Amino acid sequence: MEFDFTPVVTYFPTLLKGVGVGSLVAIAVALMSVIGGLVVAVISIYTKKLVSWPLRFFIWLFMTTPLLLQLYFLYFGLGEWILIPAIVVGILGLGFHYMAYNADIFIATIKSVSDGQYEASRSLGFGHWNTILYIIVPQAFIRSIPQLGNNMILMVKDTSVLSAIGVAELVYASQYAISVSFRPFEFFIVIALMYYVINILMELGQAWLERQTAYRR
Amino acid sequence: MSTEQSTDTPMVEVRNVHKRFGDLEVLKGINLTVNRGKIISIIGPSGSGKSTLLRSVNHLEVIDEGAILLDGVQVNRPDMKGLAFERHINTIRQNMGMVFQHFNLFPHLSTIDNVTLAPRKLKGMDKKAARELGMQQLERVGLAEKADVFPNWLSGGQKQRVAIARALAMKPKVMLFDEATSALDPELVEEVNRVMRSLADEHMTMLIVTHEMSFARDVSDWALFMDGGVVVEECTPDKLFSNPDQERTRNFLQKHLGNNH
Repeated sequence: MEFDFTPVVTYFPTLLKGVGVGSLVAIAVALMSVIGGLVVAVISIYTKKLVSWPLRFFIWLFMTTPLLLQLYFLYFGLGEWILIPAIVVGILGLGFHYMAYNADIFIATIKSVSDGQYEASRSLGFGHWNTILYIIVPQAFIRSIPQLGNNMILMVKDTSVLSAIGVAELVYASQYAISVSFRPFEFFIVIALMYYVINILMELGQAWLERQTAYRR
Repeated sequence: MSTEQSTDTPMVEVRNVHKRFGDLEVLKGINLTVNRGKIISIIGPSGSGKSTLLRSVNHLEVIDEGAILLDGVQVNRPDMKGLAFERHINTIRQNMGMVFQHFNLFPHLSTIDNVTLAPRKLKGMDKKAARELGMQQLERVGLAEKADVFPNWLSGGQKQRVAIARALAMKPKVMLFDEATSALDPELVEEVNRVMRSLADEHMTMLIVTHEMSFARDVSDWALFMDGGVVVEECTPDKLFSNPDQERTRNFLQKHLGNNH
């Protein structure tokens, strides 16, 4: 078999557009899942069962069902009643999915902050919620960075699943080009490389963040 | 009580305090008064209830019976609930400095931020004024040059001195020390003791739970020996450490001093 990368070059702007859409989705999902995950974790740890149990059920639900099914459910299921743009469904679907996984991490790291930290803060006169805000959560966050980084790398790769509901990210963007050029192999090699580069950059960023916070643990 | 003590006004009062953990009663009716500017040391074997008593003063342990007062204001308020009590206890605690055995510095904050966080957030001090105050407190414990260092880069003795500075920054009416030097390597104990001595010279009111017998003897105005949840004996430190009345006190001191010296 002979390789011919000229169609890839021809359609490269389309692929870049796909990277753009995928990045936009990834950034929105990262913000939503990290902030949301933190809020879910704090609430599920520090509030009464009436509030925390539904949240724990939510985490459990999103962690035990496939992402693709969740996306279909949101897009086609809810689509029966309201029409939501695919990209919004994609962000919400991936967002909730990774929110559950991130919440799971934050629950573990929040619980790992020693009782002595809580007591020291309270003894200074900080209230319960101020202690969580200023003392517990920042420390838990720093401890979460390695696992959060892993989750976010998984999440970036999972943006490709959104092609199934028609979000014009990288994989979806390549499909038309592949169908007219009959060169799937070449396209998939280049797409894989693009994911590879993005994830290497993310890993470098994560390593940098870990170094910056190492002495604050 | 000595006459000198009773003429002063009480800063901390502990009245008939009981504390139970399940079936185990760890404080069995404790009475104690710390007068303004006085230093009281509590010694006793582990499990005697001395740490629980100190933590009860700060309401880190909730007592089951009795009353604790700070400067005439009742600390424990079984009649108050929820947010009202939360506000009450937060205000009370701002007037009490607590120093822990394991320092409990905030590792995500620099030394100066450890010291200034409470004044900034709780007293609304602006950043510049707070830094000035924080530097003063760090100077007081001899660590001004470590202001921008993170706690993980400090030795145990330095950590404890920062913890003292952090408590002092709130200008407390009383300082509570819960075995402040017990977790330290022997060669680091003295630097912390030195800081505590300087506070004594400034007439800071202090309640000290300690295993450091000679230090307690040196700085205290009054000393208590606790065992089994009761105050077995209290008197001047000279008498307690050299000529105690109670058999249990003598046994404890013999064992303790015998081991250490």
